[in-house]
Amino acid sequence: MKKMRSYLRQVSIVMAILMTMTTLWSSSAVAGVVGTGEVLTEQRADLDRESLINMLEKQEVKEVLVSMGVDQAQVEDRIQSLTPGELASFKQQLAEAPAGEGVVGVIVLFLLVFIITDMLCATNVFPFINCIR
Amino acid sequence: MPALAVKQQIIAAITSILVVLLTGCASAPSWPTQPASDQALDITKGHVLSDVPFFPQERYQCGPAALAMMLNTQGRDAKVESLVHKVYLPGREGTLQVELVAAARSYNLLVYPLKTQLSDVLTEVAAGNPVLVMQNLGFDWWPQWHFAVVIGFDPALDVVILHTDTRRANQQPLRAFMNTWQRADQWAVVMLPPDHLPATAEPVPFLTAANDLEVTGRLSAADAAYRTAASAWPAQPAAWLGRGNIAYQQERWQDAVEHYQQTVSRFPSMASGWNNLAYALSETSCQSAANKAMDCAARLDDERFDDNLKANDGVHRPADQCPELHCPVD
Repeated sequence: MKKMRSYLRQVSIVMAILMTMTTLWSSSAVAGVVGTGEVLTEQRADLDRESLINMLEKQEVKEVLVSMGVDQAQVEDRIQSLTPGELASFKQQLAEAPAGEGVVGVIVLFLLVFIITDMLCATNVFPFINCIR
Repeated sequence: MPALAVKQQIIAAITSILVVLLTGCASAPSWPTQPASDQALDITKGHVLSDVPFFPQERYQCGPAALAMMLNTQGRDAKVESLVHKVYLPGREGTLQVELVAAARSYNLLVYPLKTQLSDVLTEVAAGNPVLVMQNLGFDWWPQWHFAVVIGFDPALDVVILHTDTRRANQQPLRAFMNTWQRADQWAVVMLPPDHLPATAEPVPFLTAANDLEVTGRLSAADAAYRTAASAWPAQPAAWLGRGNIAYQQERWQDAVEHYQQTVSRFPSMASGWNNLAYALSETSCQSAANKAMDCAARLDDERFDDNLKANDGVHRPADQCPELHCPVD
């Protein structure tokens, strides 16, 4: 899934470049200054709807963050530096994306397995085991 | 005695299963010899960035510790404890990549994602930039996610050198590093001041990262990044337009006009450049020049722009104080 997403992102970047080079924009008329992001990414048709969704997303994300033990006072700060794109996928990431933590609580059953795989350089779970090259 | 024999048999069985499972990882990865960019960087010999500060991690908190190392390298005074409040998720007992990226942005750093190949990581380190990486120290079916900072490497010793968990400058055999890094989709980023071009930088990802600064309100950092991009890749319209857009957002109308004029003189067929120029000119009370620019945008792309600019009610400057425009289509 994650591979798929990164693949899609690459495709979309290529598409964006192609569009910039060939058509130089074709969509409904807009009033106002054209944003830099629109020159970089595919032109998004309805920005108004997006900003509305964005507001809802923000509220939901805030609630999820609080439920995950983040201090209420920090919540606003933390989502402020997210781009709209990041915010859109943030809720899902909160639930699913890998969260770096370092090594903790290795189940005893796996002890032996990881000692061996660590020695084979396949994993690096235990700091005290140096793998054999 | 028989009980011991059974135990030995079990251990032998587990070992042989593991050996079969792991043969896929057995081939030794090789060191790249060509740097990822055409710079005169030598990645065939070792490099160590000895000035990258080290902060040991507390329980579960490799994210804040690794981020602190990246920020302090760039002179941002950030303590691990304060970063815990910015990026640590108690409910997940860990840190998300996206939050590390967002937090670095809040310190006015440009976060540039590296291509997922070892040569890019080595090239950045050789150029003096520490690299934040994600690793999965366990297996896909039992992941142990981890953040660490690559501060060096030595092909002669076959090691990658990282500030990781509680170990300063830990030497990891290349095979162990590659296995754990690949299991985290080879995620790697550099975090640099926006006037500093990453050694492996390419136009579109760099400009996208600059735009991320712009949309999160880091306007002067974004401006510096666009300036960097414009001098590195003058053929990128977004770099020039971006500078104009930032001036416009900061209500520096005259600067905006100048940047947009630069944009349309370099990219005369760029309708959005003419459109934006029209709006900036209107703000500087150059209404007739503004109308001309808007007219040009509409001629270049009549589906997107219509020739209809809201008239500015204020003073009208005399024409000789306003720029003369040359639309590429008549």
